[in-house]
Amino acid sequence: MTSRRYIDGSEVRITPNDGIFVDVEFYGGLKIEMLEPKRLFPISGLSKYITLLDSDGNEAAIIRSVDSLLPDSKKTILRCLEEYYMIPKISRLISRTEKFRIWLWTVETDRGIHTFEIINHITSIKTLYDGRILIKDASDNRYEIPDIYALDRRSQKLIMPDI
Amino acid sequence: MGFENLLANVPIPKEIQDAVLKINTSVDSPLFAVVGDLSLSGNYGDSALFVYNDRMIAVDESYEGGGDVILFDDIADIKVKRMYGNAVLKVEDSHGARRDIIRFTYSVADVCDSAALFIEKVKAGEDAEETLEIVRSTYKNLRSFCPKCGRKLASPDADCLNCEGKSKIINKFAKYIKPQVGTLLGCLFLSIFTTVMALIPPYITGYMVDKVLPNRDAQKLLFVILILFSVYILQFTVSGIRAYFLRLAGDKIIIDLKSDIFAKAQYLPMRFYDKTSTGSVINRINGDTAVLQSFMLRISQEAVVQAFTLVGVICIMLLMDWRLTLLSLIPVPIVIFCGRYFGKKIAPMYRRLWRRGTSLYTILADTVPGIRVIKAFTSEKRTISRFQRYSDDWLKEDKIAAKTASAFPSIITFLITCGSLIIWFIGGNWVITGSGGATTGLLVSFISYAAMFYAPVNFFANLSDSYQSALASAEKILDIINAEPENDFGKGNKPERIKGKIEFCNVNFSFDRSKKTLEDINISIDPGDVVGIVGTTGAGKSTLVNLLLRYYDDYEGEILVDGINIKEIDSEFYRDNIGYVQQEPMMFRDTIFNNIAYSNPDAHVEQVLNAADIANAHGFISRLPDSYDTMLGERGTGLSGGERQRLSIARAVLKNPSILVFDEATAAVDSETEHLIQESIDRLIRGRTTLMIAHRLSTLRRANKIIVVDKGRVVEFGTPDELLAMKGKYHKLIQIQSMSDKAREIKEAENLEISIG
Ligand SMILES: Nc1ncnc2c1ncn2[C@@H]1O[C@H](COP(=O)(O)OP(=O)(O)OP(=O)(O)O)[C@@H](O)[C@H]1O
Ligand SMILES: [Mg+2]
Repeated sequence: MTSRRYIDGSEVRITPNDGIFVDVEFYGGLKIEMLEPKRLFPISGLSKYITLLDSDGNEAAIIRSVDSLLPDSKKTILRCLEEYYMIPKISRLISRTEKFRIWLWTVETDRGIHTFEIINHITSIKTLYDGRILIKDASDNRYEIPDIYALDRRSQKLIMPDI
Repeated sequence: MGFENLLANVPIPKEIQDAVLKINTSVDSPLFAVVGDLSLSGNYGDSALFVYNDRMIAVDESYEGGGDVILFDDIADIKVKRMYGNAVLKVEDSHGARRDIIRFTYSVADVCDSAALFIEKVKAGEDAEETLEIVRSTYKNLRSFCPKCGRKLASPDADCLNCEGKSKIINKFAKYIKPQVGTLLGCLFLSIFTTVMALIPPYITGYMVDKVLPNRDAQKLLFVILILFSVYILQFTVSGIRAYFLRLAGDKIIIDLKSDIFAKAQYLPMRFYDKTSTGSVINRINGDTAVLQSFMLRISQEAVVQAFTLVGVICIMLLMDWRLTLLSLIPVPIVIFCGRYFGKKIAPMYRRLWRRGTSLYTILADTVPGIRVIKAFTSEKRTISRFQRYSDDWLKEDKIAAKTASAFPSIITFLITCGSLIIWFIGGNWVITGSGGATTGLLVSFISYAAMFYAPVNFFANLSDSYQSALASAEKILDIINAEPENDFGKGNKPERIKGKIEFCNVNFSFDRSKKTLEDINISIDPGDVVGIVGTTGAGKSTLVNLLLRYYDDYEGEILVDGINIKEIDSEFYRDNIGYVQQEPMMFRDTIFNNIAYSNPDAHVEQVLNAADIANAHGFISRLPDSYDTMLGERGTGLSGGERQRLSIARAVLKNPSILVFDEATAAVDSETEHLIQESIDRLIRGRTTLMIAHRLSTLRRANKIIVVDKGRVVEFGTPDELLAMKGKYHKLIQIQSMSDKAREIKEAENLEISIG
């Protein structure tokens, strides 16, 4: 096994390539193109430990923390992650109906209004400790409620029995 | 251009229709359409892809004019790039420039995959009409909804279990009560009898107060007491008998229900178990049935008795004094109102409580079997504190529910007591002033009746509590009872003999939409072939054979055995004809003999011995003190990995199947045991179609065909010699292995030297 390459901060410059891909240039002169940033902890740590994969899925390096990067590099990475990870944040529950044990949720999110199905509400809704709730719909799309207690009362009331 | 009959994943929205009509100037119609649900910028919105023979039209708000035409000739590469919760269709043109065509969530990813595959194949010169079949099968898979209720079906053409059983949900539970109806009716009759008995004493007490005590008639007093005594004897004897029978009936109901759920659980598809924790299944079979049972008894017994009491008491009270009766009805509306309010409040609490309880069960089900690991990593304390944490969670939730659940009966009782105060006050005044013929005796017996009257009111008000907790449980039980079992469309279709020809046609499969696990699998295996399946770990080898075993049914494409779609063969018969030696052989808590005979419980003793012999297991079994009677622990503890593996081969031998599947039967053993197992496999595979997954290529020297799986695709397929000549992946694997084999030999030789020297 080769030793893992960690990126700690300003030793690299990261520039956008195509879409969700970036180029990474080390100050030693090494330049790697077309890397795909991915979170190692997409649920528990949003800005820590970002891995950079090449087109074969092999890891080129790991960024320990996005916050330690140069401002431009940081912006590039965050933009790519934003593009890659689609976890709409639910800000309001418009309706939640059940028909034949399939729950139909219509929600308002930061990406617009959306309706989705939940087939098994016992396994599809996961409550984390600080009031954060993760939801997976019937097609394995993810949604997040950042803080249940910050929602309006009606939304809270609709969700409470499920958590 | 008509949109009504166009093959599409959802009906095409009006705006999209307008947009594409504006762009499309030619007359030919699209072959199929994909309606996306995201805009390219990543917000929810409409987008679409219309695919023709030679081009596609993409519709998205970001395109100038609303859409764009892309000719197949301009496409060098097209693929779906899955991201997280969303994906894009990417196209690379002949100059190497890449662009995103449309964006969508996972809900649409499957059909888009199939569109990309279609374009790829048509570009490669394949027949468009034929290729369209693949697309159709994807759409068909997607569209398997019940036309009546819209519920997604387990597979296309399946009966909707829901519509079939919708009206019968009540019947579903009533079914368990039915066999006990006789006993229950008997109990009901006895209850009514005891109720009538209970109605007598207050009347007699009133008589005593009014007629006997004032007259100082000692003889009459004795007489009245004797009557009361006999009434009490009757009442309590009968109620004792009733309790016994009721309990018996209840226990029978619960056992029936439990065995049914257990039976149902056996037939649930693997998908269900991929998603449901063992703990929650145990909780349902054990805990929820008990809750439900007590509720069914309450409904079928107490409710009737209480209603009867209620009516009886009101009648008697009305006969005695209608004014006092009306007075005592005053708190009733309040009690009912409180009951409803309470029910609404407590329901979600019970559901939450259920979830916490299940988490506890899940930890139990997870840790007890894993106790070896826990000890190995000395994580006892961590495990305990984890359990503690979940217990605390449960307790917290229980505290909240307990507050509400306990406050309520007290409030009700308080209200009722206030009701009797009103009667005392007003009725007492009437007795003092002598108005309306009210007497002390009347008042005393009236108060007793009023108390009896409030018991049923209280009962009905509280019914919502037990109803809610029963509902929470019923819901969970229905989850299992209503879950679609494995399909068996071909029930009864048992071909004479399975010869063992296996074909995979355009098979695609994914466990969840975030990733394709198997893609575009096309292989054909002849009867008697010994096929080695190789590939890196996680490539999809086990999944491939899982599909063959019908563990998962919702793949796209077809798998044929002897030319028949395996979904159309009687599934019991079908599985009976396949011997499967698993990657991690699973034994049960039973004797070694029974574990081998598991595959064929009717087998003769000597057949079992013979099977053990073929599997090279007889030797080690006979050396055990209890030989074939050796009791194994749960999951086969007490045996080594290699020993368990050989038992599992013996099992397969005993079954005498037409098709054999080995999933790395020799993965976890030393070379000598590998040799033993190899020998037994060689004996077993004669004349049977054999699929053999192996990491060690030495295991595959008998194979006459090799399938190389990589990242869910079959990348090479042919005879070993052909593949070697191709100098592809297989060739590379052979090279790597012969190197490591040499290394191993050297190491083993060294070890030997060390131990000798
Ligand atoms: N029940 C499941 N749910 C979701 N994904 C699964 C499930 N089982 C397997 N997978 C995934 O499917 C892919 C293929 O798994 P599979 O078990 O077929 O691999 P394999 O080729 O048999 O590997 P190995 O050689 O290690 O046994 C893996 O990426 C695995 O993570
Ligand atoms: Mg495997």
